[in-house]
Amino acid sequence: MQTFLTLLISGLVIGGIYGLIALGYSLIYRASGLMSFAQGDMVTLGAYLGIFYYVWLGLPILVALVLTFITAFLFGMALERGVIRTLLKKNVIPIYIVLATIAVSYIIQNLAQAVFGSTTQWFPQVFPVANLTLFGVTNQTEAYASFVISIILMIALHLFMTKTKFGTAMRGSAMDPLAAESCGINTSLSTGITWGLAASIASLAGMMLGPMYGVFTTLGSTIGRKGFAGAVVGGYGNMYGAMIGGLLLGLAETFVAGYIDGTYKNQIAYIILIVFLFVKPTGIFNEKAIQDV
Amino acid sequence: MNNTLSTKKKLPIGIAVAVVVLALPFILQLIAGNDYSVMICCIILVYVIAVSGLDILFGYSGQISLGHAAFFVIGAYTSGLLNNYFNTPLWLTIPAGALLATGIGALLAWPASKLKFHFLSLATVAFGEIVYYFLYVSPKIGDSSIGFTNDYMGINVINIPFLDNYTKWYFFLLFFVVIFLLAKQSLIHSRTGRAFMAIRENTHAANGMGVNVRKNKIIAFAVSAFYTGFAGAVYVHLIRYIAPATAQQKQSVLFLTMLLFGGTGSLVGPIIGVIFIELLLELIRPLQEYQMLLYGILLLIVIVALPGGLYGGVKDAIVSLKRRKETAKLAKSDQ
Repeated sequence: MQTFLTLLISGLVIGGIYGLIALGYSLIYRASGLMSFAQGDMVTLGAYLGIFYYVWLGLPILVALVLTFITAFLFGMALERGVIRTLLKKNVIPIYIVLATIAVSYIIQNLAQAVFGSTTQWFPQVFPVANLTLFGVTNQTEAYASFVISIILMIALHLFMTKTKFGTAMRGSAMDPLAAESCGINTSLSTGITWGLAASIASLAGMMLGPMYGVFTTLGSTIGRKGFAGAVVGGYGNMYGAMIGGLLLGLAETFVAGYIDGTYKNQIAYIILIVFLFVKPTGIFNEKAIQDV
Repeated sequence: MNNTLSTKKKLPIGIAVAVVVLALPFILQLIAGNDYSVMICCIILVYVIAVSGLDILFGYSGQISLGHAAFFVIGAYTSGLLNNYFNTPLWLTIPAGALLATGIGALLAWPASKLKFHFLSLATVAFGEIVYYFLYVSPKIGDSSIGFTNDYMGINVINIPFLDNYTKWYFFLLFFVVIFLLAKQSLIHSRTGRAFMAIRENTHAANGMGVNVRKNKIIAFAVSAFYTGFAGAVYVHLIRYIAPATAQQKQSVLFLTMLLFGGTGSLVGPIIGVIFIELLLELIRPLQEYQMLLYGILLLIVIVALPGGLYGGVKDAIVSLKRRKETAKLAKSDQ
């Protein structure tokens, strides 16, 4: 029982992170029908921005959190405006957009290495209490905080997308750009904001990972692909599917590693991804976006 | 193929290229005075085979793969392990590596061929990662946990005593490059090749015209995996080292970059792309930790500025130059 609870909690913590990254993928796919291979590196970006604001500048944690969110948002929007939009205007085949996002991911990884060095940076303890015991399970306080923040972010995003005027406009322009445009919605702006939002959510995930995993240049690339697996499991393009899929993936990974064999921990996500792509590409929420022929 | 050049001009250009290619290792020996530059040429030849294979898949049948390095690694491990630990001769191990890659490619393509662009690319990324982790966690082979190291295997294909090893390799590889490129051309101009292109242009129309889409997509994947697997199998004996990490996304992206840079769906495109990118990487190698940063920036600039690839860009330039000449001629005759 004790092992079960420990695994359950750490599965939910990492699952929450996967869910946030998966949300970014789904948002981008919904808004522009594209896939960003740099989404994972937004996690890395966020983690380093956290180090920059919290450790280097010595700002309070909440200010650092907000600043990271804003910086990543601007970066994501600049990526859409500067690179993706230019390529779309040139009417290139989609592979160039994939390759452009891969190039951006190389730039983020290697720029981070050039600025911060290749050694793992440790995020200092944020809370005065290092460990917290819940239901007889002791864990890092940051781990619990990360799960709580993940859930809050997911609920906030849900409220933003469904209750606010702007969120509704974003959903509208994702559903039918032409109709949305004729209703007076600035679809170009909402696509840019979607990319920005995806980047900033992932960056927060990165900042929360920092205290648990340490900050290194390839932090996001593996976790980013696992987030993608979460998005596919839930149903690619579906916001709620992404959250559920991410959580399920985190739980599956942790339980397999805990009960069966830890060496295969990293393979689980990829095997689940491939199985879902081949057998049930529409995911749990039956989102019809993937199948061809 | 190359409509921008007339057949009259083609022959002398072809002869000139052949002479340069044949004399290259000797010229490089004279100029640089060391083997290193010849080795780079050997790597270029290996990559030409691998990237031509990727071109069959992406350039002709329109299927994306971001996991081709996995086939490269499968070929390399198969050939290297068989040769190193079972003393199987090279002429058996290299085809064995290529054939295993082909089989796995066909198996992967069987379910993957129904996936759309982005999801196919992610499925292939996942495939590459699975191959990587499989090799990474597999029990130690020989005396190293990260890949294995072969003893040097000199091959004596063209046995000329005063030639040194990498030069021998160069001609050995050149022989296979020519064979693989000829095979690629004849495949492209066959019924199957035309089916590939029909699928690339419009899957539904191809299906309507009686092309078996699923079957041809799987064939394209298998042939492509054969090329890349073969390249990996010869690579491991050339470099005498392979690590599981090669199966990861980075190497696959490198292959794709080479293909896109040179231009897809052509004979010379992959060759130009491989030469250019490999030389570029060699050129910025002294920058060490900034190498990948600069590579990323250059990649992004080229994609944004020149999305048709180098070959496409040059082709367009030649066409527009010709058109300008013709209009000038017309203007003159009008006067």
